[in-house]
Amino acid sequence: MEYESHHLSAAMQTGLGVYFFLVALMNAAFAHYCYRQRQDPVQSAIWLGVALLFAVHGVAFITHMDLVMPEAIKELVNDVMNPVSYFVIAVLGLVAFLVWRRFFTDPIVAWTILQVGLLFSGWSMTDYTFQQIITKPDNVPIVMLIFSVGFFTWLPMRQAIINDDRLARGEPPLEKLEEDKVLVWPDLVYTELICMVICTFALIVWAITLKAPLEQPASSSRIPNPSKAPWYFLGLQEMLVYFDPWMAGVVLPTFIIIGLIAIPYIDFNVKGNGYYTFVERKFAVSTFLFGFVVLWVVLIVLGTFLRGPNWNFFGPFEPWDPHKSVPLNNVNLSDYFWLYLLGDAIEGKGWLAREAPGIILILVYLLGLPPLLAKTIMRSYFIRMGFIRFFILVTLIQFMALLPIKMVLRWTINLKYIVFIPEYFFNI
Amino acid sequence: MAEPVAAGTIAEAGKAEAPAVKAAPAKPAAKPAAKSSPTRRIFIISTLFGSWFATAWTTFTASMIAMLLGTVRFLFPNVLSEPPSVVKAGSVSDYEEGKVDDKYKEFGFWVIRAKDERNRDIIYALSTVCTHLGCNPNWLEADKKFKCPCHGSGFRISGVNFEGPAPRPLERLAIRKTDDGFVLVDKSRKFQKEIGQWDDPDSYILV
Amino acid sequence: MALSEFIRGSQVWKSIFRHPAPRDRRNRVVVMLTNVFLHLHPVSVRKSGIALSYTWCMGGITFFLFLVETITGVLLMFYYRPTLEHAYNDILSLRDVATLGILRELHRWGAHAMVISIWLHMYRVFLTGSYKPPREFNWGVGVILLVLTLLLSFTGYLLPWDQLAIWAITVGSNMARATPLLGYEGPGAKLLQIGGVELIHSGSDARFLLLGGRFVGETALLRFYVLHCVAIPLAVALLIAVHFWRVRKDGGISGAL
Ligand code: HEM
Ligand code: FES
Repeated sequence: MEYESHHLSAAMQTGLGVYFFLVALMNAAFAHYCYRQRQDPVQSAIWLGVALLFAVHGVAFITHMDLVMPEAIKELVNDVMNPVSYFVIAVLGLVAFLVWRRFFTDPIVAWTILQVGLLFSGWSMTDYTFQQIITKPDNVPIVMLIFSVGFFTWLPMRQAIINDDRLARGEPPLEKLEEDKVLVWPDLVYTELICMVICTFALIVWAITLKAPLEQPASSSRIPNPSKAPWYFLGLQEMLVYFDPWMAGVVLPTFIIIGLIAIPYIDFNVKGNGYYTFVERKFAVSTFLFGFVVLWVVLIVLGTFLRGPNWNFFGPFEPWDPHKSVPLNNVNLSDYFWLYLLGDAIEGKGWLAREAPGIILILVYLLGLPPLLAKTIMRSYFIRMGFIRFFILVTLIQFMALLPIKMVLRWTINLKYIVFIPEYFFNI
Repeated sequence: MAEPVAAGTIAEAGKAEAPAVKAAPAKPAAKPAAKSSPTRRIFIISTLFGSWFATAWTTFTASMIAMLLGTVRFLFPNVLSEPPSVVKAGSVSDYEEGKVDDKYKEFGFWVIRAKDERNRDIIYALSTVCTHLGCNPNWLEADKKFKCPCHGSGFRISGVNFEGPAPRPLERLAIRKTDDGFVLVDKSRKFQKEIGQWDDPDSYILV
Repeated sequence: MALSEFIRGSQVWKSIFRHPAPRDRRNRVVVMLTNVFLHLHPVSVRKSGIALSYTWCMGGITFFLFLVETITGVLLMFYYRPTLEHAYNDILSLRDVATLGILRELHRWGAHAMVISIWLHMYRVFLTGSYKPPREFNWGVGVILLVLTLLLSFTGYLLPWDQLAIWAITVGSNMARATPLLGYEGPGAKLLQIGGVELIHSGSDARFLLLGGRFVGETALLRFYVLHCVAIPLAVALLIAVHFWRVRKDGGISGAL
């Protein structure tokens, strides 16, 4: 089989060598920055050392020394990774980032994380499977997505922290300091021009180096395995594992769109308009980060890189074996309730009687929880927002929470449906 | 065609602007009548058609809605160039028990001979459309199951789902035996197990 | 020197640009007011509003990529026929036969980049709280633009008519089949009956409307082509105009009050 060839092609090794040299260069530049800007010779020396390390990598790969990632590490990563751990790590990562934001946004720390990431990515490319997946032309944008979302999460959080400190001291946010007006010509017009030139250049380089994919002509009898939606919808496709199409494909996307449009009307917080801040908008920013970074981007990455044939989960270095079989026998809530809990037969019951426990649960969740929250932990919100705003806010968050809730239920008690009425295609 | 109508209505609505002021007091006048029995209907009629102005706007809105609905209906084609729905699938004697072959997969079904729940020997046509999101499952001879490549649903040879996200069994298609022993499959009629349609004699051939 | 002075002094030049070069303050203002494209912008802006670290230039990049897509898309249309017979082969020949065979790449990678840049734009607008009053409406316009951008990418995905295309679209469009009430496998569709005749069946549901048929075939290809090349781009262009207009009318790019 193909994937058993552990040797790297010569071109790949040269490519990796160039890659490591570029990273070495980055670190040299950073060392220079530490020395000049931060006046910190110790840091500067450390990063020079790192640059040297990467340069050694570069030499090793360019001279085709056939280096590959140790099997033990690959196996460890494969063993640790599964849909549960992947998602849990992502959530914990976000929580840690928000709680220790001061630590994580420190330039030195952020740079260290980036370098570890680059080192690991470089070594990972020596793995055949990993390399096959990453270098698929349509997957390249997702690599870009990962790095740009990472960067554009770091940058605003760093600015937010600076602003939060200033606000705490009673000073205005940084944005306020540059109140004076400048003329659009030349200040803005030229920025735009330069930006366009850079983008055009980047796009042309990308178009020349990477061919757009074209597979076999369409055929309605041979179906590729796995069959994936376009990458930007893979978050939705991942939801299909947990929900029926009408939920994952219609109801939840509709709620996403409505929810996004509703944001300005339910966010009653007048602070934090026009500058980066975290402290003044903790709830809003955390919720949005959870929705965008974890429930959208992280799931896209999962769908692209870690879902293989038959939509099975594969570790990053695990060959995509179409015969891997994972039992997917899930149980409905009604089965749990009638068969296991009451020891009763399920067959003779009409759908209403049979599904009553699930239906009641859903109704309580959707209708009972909002008043309860209004009375208890979200009382201050309720008072400030009024009935309609509060109800919409809670409902939207509840729908967003449905996905993680269903995930956890699936992982823990192997639940398939909370409500199961195939007679009317109504399964939740 | 519809354009002039709409334009005309707008013009009318514009002209009606002045009388609208006069029309306003007409409403309280209608109120005493509203106390008597057929109140609500009169109220609706008088708001919609109580003045020339109201009538014009009502007509305008109604014709806009009609145009919109007409456009939506236009988008549903009346003639389809899709292949005919009845397919001849060999003769009854071609089929062996428990064998699945992909001969008719491109037409959208498998013809299978197997024992049913009541242990009768039957032939049925199973749709190749996964009940999850419509990919085409593959028959895995080793595991004796249909496995969908898209999200991993599994179906037994009978079409009943037993793993993965598919919410219900594959559908069966109308099938019958001609007098000279041929099998005809009609793709336009579907039979779903969960609503008891597999008991319909049109959904299988008794061997 | 002399030549440029001659050109600038000519009647033709003056008929186009009605004021001297924008070298002094006055003319830098005038140029913004007299040029139809430049007057998308105000004459002057707050310095903080256009700082790269503030806007990341993502809205601008999205707009730029939309223009790139429009231009490359029009060029591709000269060679592409949306029929079962030709579609795949036309794409092949765009790669193998056409001179400058990177137009398809430019178009495809541009589309991917646009999806990323529009997400990042939304991300920054959220994180700066720029959707707050008075910009609520423009945020809404933006969300519609986001949906339309994804639909543009999605409809374009089918056009090469290869295995990747039809199966991605099959899976995607099958979701329409599950629309509540309006899809024939959606919850409640069975309830819409008149005298025992089902109103919603595979020949009358939401998916049928989208594909113009019961499966992803020639009619679907034509529909996606028209949506991709005409209908959605027009809607996006219109909404971008509204979006830009509102950025200005809502007081320019947001900033601390
Ligand atoms: C085709 C898509 C879009 C284009 C071309 C576009 C373009 C732009 C541009 C050029 C600006 C000026 C400031 C900047 O560059 O950040 C802007 C501002 C803005 N955009 Fe967009 N945008 C698009 C989609 C969106 C989306 C998806 C959203 C949000 C859901 C959005 C919401 C806003 C808001 C609220 C502003 C005002 C922000 C401020 O004043 O700071 N836009 N847009
Ligand atoms: S389409 Fe078959 S499992 Fe999703």
